[in-house]
Amino acid sequence: MNLTILRLLAWRVIVALPILAIVSALLFGVLRLLPVDPAAMSLPPTATVAEVAAKRSEMGLDRPLPQQYLLWVENVAVGDFGTSIHFRRAVAGLVAETLPATIELAVLAMIIAAALGLTGGLYLFHVRATWREPVADLGSIVLLSIPEFLWGLFFILLFGVAVPLLPFTGRLSAQFQRPVHTGFLLIDTLIDGRLDMFRDAFAHMALPALALGLAFSPAIMRVLRSSLLDVYQEEYIAQARLRGLSERRILLRHAFKNAILPTLSLMGVQFGFLFGGTLLVEVIYSYPGLGNLMVDAVRNADLPIIQAVGLTYCVLVLVINTAVDALYLVLDPRLRPG
Amino acid sequence: MRPLPPWLSSPRVVAGFAIVALIGIAALLAPLVAPNDPQEQNLVSTLLPPAWAPGGAAAFPLGTDSLGRCVLSRLVYGARVAMTVAIFASLGAMLFGAVLAHLAGYCGGAVDWIIGRAVDVWMSFPPVILSLILMVGLGVGLRNVILAIVLVDWTRFCRVLRAEVMVTARRDYVAAARLVGFSHWRILTREILPGTFPLIITLVSLEMGIAVVVEAILSFVGMSVSADQAAWGQMIADARLSLYEAPWNLVFPILAIFLAVLGFNLLGDGLRGTLDVRLVEAR
Repeated sequence: MNLTILRLLAWRVIVALPILAIVSALLFGVLRLLPVDPAAMSLPPTATVAEVAAKRSEMGLDRPLPQQYLLWVENVAVGDFGTSIHFRRAVAGLVAETLPATIELAVLAMIIAAALGLTGGLYLFHVRATWREPVADLGSIVLLSIPEFLWGLFFILLFGVAVPLLPFTGRLSAQFQRPVHTGFLLIDTLIDGRLDMFRDAFAHMALPALALGLAFSPAIMRVLRSSLLDVYQEEYIAQARLRGLSERRILLRHAFKNAILPTLSLMGVQFGFLFGGTLLVEVIYSYPGLGNLMVDAVRNADLPIIQAVGLTYCVLVLVINTAVDALYLVLDPRLRPG
Repeated sequence: MRPLPPWLSSPRVVAGFAIVALIGIAALLAPLVAPNDPQEQNLVSTLLPPAWAPGGAAAFPLGTDSLGRCVLSRLVYGARVAMTVAIFASLGAMLFGAVLAHLAGYCGGAVDWIIGRAVDVWMSFPPVILSLILMVGLGVGLRNVILAIVLVDWTRFCRVLRAEVMVTARRDYVAAARLVGFSHWRILTREILPGTFPLIITLVSLEMGIAVVVEAILSFVGMSVSADQAAWGQMIADARLSLYEAPWNLVFPILAIFLAVLGFNLLGDGLRGTLDVRLVEAR
């Protein structure tokens, strides 16, 4: 089994390389449509035309586009994503600082989404063919219609302004000095044994994670419900009934195990989308993650950052897809070699 | 009396259609519905509460924003942007995605492989990020927002429809049509398309909701229509800065986005229930 997973991982990496190459080329091409001159932008407004020209050739901008792209790829391969035009700092460092914050938030949000989605799906299935079904079903459509940033704003109004319960800006209260080991705040505070700081960091993540979790749970609910409905058409369910098993046992031990597989692949896709959702939620909560970095870069037309962050999102999605496939192998006995 | 067509007897379809129609009419008749010019600033009466609250003014039914612009008028004109984007972006994404899906599902082989890989590449980006990057390249403006959403969301149609086309193409009546010697074009348009059309309609309706959200996200970060046009996301971004003084200003655009998306989702879900032949047969 381990060998199968290893083979899958190897295959995934081989497939990921051309995808990354195409994505990065597309990124590079799209961003070159911009009518801005990165060289002129990175110099003071008093710079002479000759200085700008010198800067252009220093940044490789005077060469043909394919050559510029290859140059960029060469640098990226050794971890050099260039220098931010706006922050005047190495882009790799900026991404490395913000990425853990976003991963932390997204993972917490995904746990919330999965918990809500799976219980909600079981509930939707449980109330099938009763008077509660249309109500619950309508409820799930209403939930489906509230995107994450609306939840985020709603929570700020509710728990930040009306009933101030939880903080809604940043990652940590100002009185704390942030420990830096792994970059993941929840882990770093635990490493230092600072439970008070852990609680504070967790409180800061609670609202944004809940907003994301709530927004991404209804799709999980509905897919779990419909795959449970499919599974209940199978003969082994009827057989389990004939054997006199309780409905509860049939649902949890027999049906759920099979219905979880399609749900899992949806959750993989959702997890990728969720990373996109962090973008606006981070802005709304002034949460210093990848999304905030991206939006700042977009506003400043900071091309090196946009390229690097775009590529980072792409890598994140590919990693998630691979992880979901590996999980599938573990969970689905039909895919295991005999 | 003839019985109602099934899609009209679904309360979801009716409710969804009513909500969408209401917003659509408000958008269409914006100059008549809006009490004020959405861009006119009244710097002496900024951040007014709604008319029914103490301190509200009858001239501004839903109050004013930080520049003293009428919130109701901006909502109504924002609906124009939202509805235009919803309609054209979803139709564009549908056309693009459906054509590729039918080609991939019907032709199979190399065509299917190439289209499948293109979808893979596109899907390796969270859609929000991709549309934001496209907007950076294209520049702000209504037409570019629509283009960006089409270029991002065609995959949603392509993925789902391709599977549906493949199922339909294996049906006996399609094989029969082939044996009779119908042209590929005729088989695709007369035999397969009627089978996939209900799903297309449902997907378009759901995509309209998605387009409203994407437009709101883009206009929130200032990458949608230009600043002299009112948009719901922009109103939220503006209201966020005066959160404590005027929480109302945040509530109204939130409600508008929620209602629009709810309307499209109800419509899509109801249509799926009444148009999907297999679901109807199973009853």
